[in-house]
Amino acid sequence: MSARWVNRGLDALTWLVLLAMLAPILWLIASSLQTDGQLSRGTYNLLEPTFTAFSRMWQTVDFERYLLNSLIICTIAALCATAFASTAGYALARFHFRGAKPLSLAVVGTQLIPGSLFLLPLFMGFIWLKQNTPVALFDTHLGMILVYTAFFTPVAIYFMRYFFAAIPRDLEEAAMVDGCTRFGAFVRIVLPAAAPGLLATFVYAFLFAWDELLFVAALTQENAETIPIGIRNFIGNYQERTAQLMAAGVVSTLPVLIAFFATQRWLVKGLTAGAVKG
Amino acid sequence: MAQTTLQSPPEAGSARALPTRAGRPRRRRTLFAYWLIAPAVAFMVLVHLVPTAGGVLLSFKRLNTFTFARLFDAPWAGLENYRSILFDTANPLRDGFFGAVQNTAVYTFWTVSGTLAGGLAIALLLNRQMRGIRLIRTLMLTPWIVPSFVVAVLWQFMWQSDVGIVNKVLVDYTHLLSERPIWLLGENSMWAIIIPSVWRGLPFAMIFFLAGLQAMPPELHEAAAIDGAGPFRRFRYITLPLLRPLIAVQLLFGVIYAAYQFAIPYIMLGSNPGPDADLMMTLIYRQSFSNNLFGFGAAASVLLMAAMCVWVAIWYRAFKRDLEVT
Repeated sequence: MSARWVNRGLDALTWLVLLAMLAPILWLIASSLQTDGQLSRGTYNLLEPTFTAFSRMWQTVDFERYLLNSLIICTIAALCATAFASTAGYALARFHFRGAKPLSLAVVGTQLIPGSLFLLPLFMGFIWLKQNTPVALFDTHLGMILVYTAFFTPVAIYFMRYFFAAIPRDLEEAAMVDGCTRFGAFVRIVLPAAAPGLLATFVYAFLFAWDELLFVAALTQENAETIPIGIRNFIGNYQERTAQLMAAGVVSTLPVLIAFFATQRWLVKGLTAGAVKG
Repeated sequence: MAQTTLQSPPEAGSARALPTRAGRPRRRRTLFAYWLIAPAVAFMVLVHLVPTAGGVLLSFKRLNTFTFARLFDAPWAGLENYRSILFDTANPLRDGFFGAVQNTAVYTFWTVSGTLAGGLAIALLLNRQMRGIRLIRTLMLTPWIVPSFVVAVLWQFMWQSDVGIVNKVLVDYTHLLSERPIWLLGENSMWAIIIPSVWRGLPFAMIFFLAGLQAMPPELHEAAAIDGAGPFRRFRYITLPLLRPLIAVQLLFGVIYAAYQFAIPYIMLGSNPGPDADLMMTLIYRQSFSNNLFGFGAAASVLLMAAMCVWVAIWYRAFKRDLEVT
């Protein structure tokens, strides 16, 4: 009898914890549906939502440009990182070669470098290229794509290797017996079999690129600025337009939220790969 | 982690990894592998390795507003940057540096311990059967998806002293406090960045621990229960030891990521979060890009990375035996 009540209590506690975790997000949505004046006076009326903040925020800062830049840069960078990580992850999962172990260590080692240490030379390198060559990387989409591709490739390698290791070797061997080249077997047999893993890796890289602030703050000026910079400009110049700021927060969260929930089954598998191994 | 997750997956180590196709020399296989890793390696060398070496180099240079135009040709300063940060008591930057070191340590300690303890508690709660548990597990992940700059903006609004929801709840609705605390300035500002960081980190720790809990063989718990061990003893002597490798991995990366936190304090508290909440990264970024003290920034970055290398060494000694288990 008492075990049942303990269970009921734990069920209720679970729902309460969920509510507590979601409360700030609900608050973000609720306050984006108020007016700036209501929020600055603290006179919320949650029963009368309005979408004015969502229509006005696009004029307050050039949010469309930031959103577009974020979409372009993060999509291409995540695609490139996934592509490079899939080949490297495949090599690590399947082949024995000299340098495999140092490469694995380097993959984790990159996480140990503080961004500020290599940001500065990168910044100076971009400026130098701008001054001395026609290569335009400072404040361009290309520059940010290169940086983000490199950034998220290491973690993506770790992801992809896990997914490739789960694919039976017989598949490619059969294809090669049938006359496929090694690369042909990889592209035609292994990659399609790893499609969920590819998708999860792409979304993971995309999520992280979307969140990146330090590098985009230093390496762009106007042309290639992404959403985090838009938000910073918002706070810097229009802090009192709180409802619009919250609306901008909702709009910047939606793309990643959709991407995440569409792929969360595979994403969670990749994320927890290290937890259930062995 | 260095050992557990980086070891090649089991089948790669087996005899089947040797050439299977008759007549193919092994060298061609190896060459193919090198082609496969080439793009990733090229990017890592160009964006990680070379600039990091450049950063270490710059930490020995006198690079400021006056010499910036010379870029990498700036005059040598030897160990001057390091000396002035660590030993020059007349240098105001030294106080700022040690203040940021202390703040970063406090921030990292509370963020990591709060995230791990809370994540484990929620994972235990979710590792039960109940109606709607799959939905709950999925929804519980949402805070982790909210970008950290949105987290910072949202909590900045929630922390507002007069109209923020936190004070409304604490003071107006529940009367837990009689005076409205100021969260975004002074000594509370450290908590203003720790709490949202923990909130955002919890789901990840939770999902990681939950995966570990679900991979645990139930027989162990059943056997212990038959032997008369209560839930707390079972947690202490079965669950916790089996989760040690997971705790190890999360500690390693949790500390590194927390020590390198930038977006939350920078967006919430501005480019100068004040002496109570200035972290290493906000200090380095501000001194480098607002005050053009690039030499200082590079040297402080090198010191920060050195501290993290020490942490990895300590971590490795502490968890060495757990790495072999997984």
